[in-house]
Amino acid sequence: MSIVIASEIVETVPSALIILDRALNITSANRAFYQIFRTSPAETVGCNIFELGNRQWDIPALRTLLERVIPEKNAVERFEMEHNFPNIGRRTMLVNARKILRPGELDGGIVLAIEDVSIERAAQAESERAWQLTQSIVDTIRDPLVVLEHDMTIVMASRAFLTIFGITEAAARGRHLSELGQHQWDVPALRFLMEKVLPENKPIESFEIEDDFSGLGRRVFNLNARKISQPGNHVHRMLLVFEDITDRKQRERDAEMLTNEISHRIKNNLQIIVGLIGFEAKTTAETGTQGYKAMQARISAIAELYDLISHSKRGGTITADTYLKGIAKTMSATLLGSESGIAIDVDAEPIDIDPNRAVPLGLLINELATNAIKHAFPGGRGRVVLSLKQDGVDIVLTVTDNGIGIRDQDAAKLPERRGFNYVTIFARQLGGTIIPQPVGDKGTTVKVLLPHLAAPTGIVRSAA
Amino acid sequence: MAIILIVEDDIFIRGLAEMMIQDWGHQTLLASDVDEALVLLRSPVKIDGLFTDIYLKAAVLGGCDVARAAVALRPGLRVLYTTGNTVTENMKSLFVDGKHVLRKPYTETQLQHSVESMLAA
Repeated sequence: MSIVIASEIVETVPSALIILDRALNITSANRAFYQIFRTSPAETVGCNIFELGNRQWDIPALRTLLERVIPEKNAVERFEMEHNFPNIGRRTMLVNARKILRPGELDGGIVLAIEDVSIERAAQAESERAWQLTQSIVDTIRDPLVVLEHDMTIVMASRAFLTIFGITEAAARGRHLSELGQHQWDVPALRFLMEKVLPENKPIESFEIEDDFSGLGRRVFNLNARKISQPGNHVHRMLLVFEDITDRKQRERDAEMLTNEISHRIKNNLQIIVGLIGFEAKTTAETGTQGYKAMQARISAIAELYDLISHSKRGGTITADTYLKGIAKTMSATLLGSESGIAIDVDAEPIDIDPNRAVPLGLLINELATNAIKHAFPGGRGRVVLSLKQDGVDIVLTVTDNGIGIRDQDAAKLPERRGFNYVTIFARQLGGTIIPQPVGDKGTTVKVLLPHLAAPTGIVRSAA
Repeated sequence: MAIILIVEDDIFIRGLAEMMIQDWGHQTLLASDVDEALVLLRSPVKIDGLFTDIYLKAAVLGGCDVARAAVALRPGLRVLYTTGNTVTENMKSLFVDGKHVLRKPYTETQLQHSVESMLAA
């Protein structure tokens, strides 16, 4: 009865099982053996293991196991064997072998359990190849790159990374990031950020570290970190890329220095002009000073526009909405002050405008808005809207106020007419056309069509 | 009437500022850089207010240095800064207390208002 049960169990075991007698002839095998090795009981039972299936089991490793190891050790587990079988191809097998000792027998048969691990081994080899491929791709990346374990120890480092820290791959692997170099990366802010990357899945986009690196000198690195998750794998790692921005940073600093220097000179020159006009005004009769004051205000506007232009620049162009908002803010501060009941609002699209036309455009807006502030609101309350929008091929500038409007007799007054002459001059300079608007007592609107205001298409905007 | 120390690296602007300030009845002392300003600040001469440009020749933030040294030497001294450049957060962090800033180019009226509010502070 127990023999029957044992043989039933043997038939259901997924591993291939064979039993050999002491002469290494096969006395029995299970169904799994016949299936895996595509053979039959008739071909198998009674056959010597090494002669089975045209001697395809005459494998040197198996001979060693059966003829030398088992007689001495009685049992061997997980003996790995690779062989190319003519009918089933190359297989990797794990063999467990055990001597069957019956009471009173010194030398019994052998039971062999053979497990086919070819798929697992192939997957392992594929994964190693993938790892090597990844490593070789990583090594070609110029920016130093490192993969960290969840505890910030190094799993993989690119060649550029190893060069920077002057360490070997073996020395880097398993080391904590903060132990590297002269402990430059042992920065509380960085540690805090990194501790956020894994649990909160928040990538670090750019974190600057400036320090002295032995053999490299002073360097500025921009750090990018993100979590790497593999599907089905709960182990989370982090990819950390070190972008060397030393040269870029230096160029930015040089450019800033130059901008400051030029701005200083320009403003000093404008200061001299404003000062000279002021002295001229002092020696002129009171009735003539208004023109000098208007001139000083226009020069101040040019100085402010210069600042706005250098701050609104992105790549080679200026963005209209940023520029107009700057003009509105500056005019509010210089002409109105914080107590004023007059507001200057902006309703502009982010159109890229030609930097060569930015100053006349700014002066045109300055002129129109100044006219509105001076004449539209005798009660000291109101709103001026500066608008710049694309309308088909044209760009339309509109300056609107909700003040008292223009009466016909006002248009004849000299200062206003002169103000409007400047509007005409700046509009002409921009190649624009003033579109007449109906006059009345419900505020004033000035509309100027500016077909040439957009930046030439040759200027490519770059993200600064 | 007050005594104002003007620190300005541009000779023309320094002269213009001197004429403007003297026109309102004040006395002026002149310096063109940080060192000249320090000589006057260390001397026993009376000074009521300091009017300094920020960008002084090679010293990008020279005016900030002058003002800090001035307040250390003469606690409570009134300071008015001027600059044609954008006033950055970095600049502001270097300002002494009670700061007044006048943007270039300034008119005589604007300078007069700024000097008066500096002296009144």
